Amino acid sequence: MNVGIEAMNVFGGTAYLDVMKLARHRRLDTARFENLLMKQKTVALPYEDPVTFAVNAAKPVIDSLTPAEKDRIELLITCTESGVDFGKSMSTYVHHYLGLNRNCRLFEIKQACYSGTAGFQMAVNFILGQASPGAKALVVATDISRFMVVEAGEAIMEDWSFAEPSGGAGAVAILVSDRPHVFQVDVGANGYYGFEVMDTCRPVPDSEAGDADLSLMSYLDCCERAFGEYQKRVTGVSYKDTFQYLTFHTPFGGMVKGAHRTMMRKVVKATPPEIEADFSLRVTPGLTYCQRVGNIMGGTVFMSLASTIDNGVYNAPKRIGQFSYGSGCCSEFYSGVVSAEGQQRQKQFSIERGLSSRYELSMDEYDALLLGNGAVRFGTRNVTLDTQIVPRAWDVTRNKKVLYLKQIHEFHRKYEWSA
Amino acid sequence: MNKDTIFELIVKHTREVIPELEGHAFSRTDALKELGANSVDRAEIVQLTLEALSLDVPKIELFGAQNIDQLVDLFYEKL
Repeated sequence: MNVGIEAMNVFGGTAYLDVMKLARHRRLDTARFENLLMKQKTVALPYEDPVTFAVNAAKPVIDSLTPAEKDRIELLITCTESGVDFGKSMSTYVHHYLGLNRNCRLFEIKQACYSGTAGFQMAVNFILGQASPGAKALVVATDISRFMVVEAGEAIMEDWSFAEPSGGAGAVAILVSDRPHVFQVDVGANGYYGFEVMDTCRPVPDSEAGDADLSLMSYLDCCERAFGEYQKRVTGVSYKDTFQYLTFHTPFGGMVKGAHRTMMRKVVKATPPEIEADFSLRVTPGLTYCQRVGNIMGGTVFMSLASTIDNGVYNAPKRIGQFSYGSGCCSEFYSGVVSAEGQQRQKQFSIERGLSSRYELSMDEYDALLLGNGAVRFGTRNVTLDTQIVPRAWDVTRNKKVLYLKQIHEFHRKYEWSA
Repeated sequence: MNKDTIFELIVKHTREVIPELEGHAFSRTDALKELGANSVDRAEIVQLTLEALSLDVPKIELFGAQNIDQLVDLFYEKL
């Protein structure tokens, strides 16, 4: 049977920062910095949390369904490393604000940036299992960057040079069903690879820790070995010829460029000019949105997929090879097919336009937010959010119909639509 | 294969990744980070050296060197 993505949408927030300006502001080595291929990053405002990002990504997808179709969503998974409660899953809030059918499974999945893929594969198997024929699943990968890295310690470096400019905020909502108009999954074509490594993590609330070098090396190891496993399971696969596009988990473009270069050199034995041309052709369509939003952890690989669908050329159906990696770690290489119909359908969500309508924060506004001004820390019991913390950013929010966090009352989050 | 050869390979690949270091006189105590190599550059230098040595070991096992000398030792242990 057919299974895959029926529709998907990316929500990249309401405010962003120009990362080159940030690099100059932090006095980073801007010559080498350009190789990292970063442009902008979304910054979550205090009244935006992983729930608002999730709902704002999913709402246009839900609105595109008939009431009967909407009622067939029987599984809702939130995928995140930015949870707001140890017990209650954010899927319950998302379910409520989307007004979904109550005969629906609600839960949350965690495995760093692999979470989106973990949720997606569970949804694919729910459809394939046919326990409820015709049912649909909604998978929402949603994350925000925490305010600051933990202080340096014996084994942890305070390496701002990558973490700060690359950490974004955003969500991707993916409707999975037996009508894969947008991305038809190659069933059974999955190479997964995982092991225990302490590369990056969130060991305390509201903060991140880790080592960029270790994470990068683990990512590269997994990239090679997950594809190796895929190759074992699927007959006649060639890294160069089987996939017309490649999407990667994209913490920042330079990391993907390094991974692609390594794979092309080791697996394909390509020359540097061939690698460069292949990168432009097969990988850059997937970088466009990632370069504007930054790393949104669980959803990043699907943001890259959405970017590849919107910015690729589909004169014939094309197979996309997708590599997902989450620190800690687990990874997977899998694939699916996209056609002109899928690209056409995705246009209704105008993802690019959404990104272009964000407010550009000044460095002063950003620094004030970074210092924790107005920030809602994990475990906040009561607070009413100040929507005027960056007045011009609120003007952008007010002009769209988006969900924002209005208040927390006795730990219970209350959200409202801005228009 | 002795440690000097590994050192020369690391220097060669560092110059390949960061052409600005062509004229730099490398010493064992140089740290790649101090020479301007970022994480992506450092991973690439490790990868190129692994390939030159025909080693197929996980890259995470070559993590943790504070300078080129320590990186030479990590490679040497894998031969």
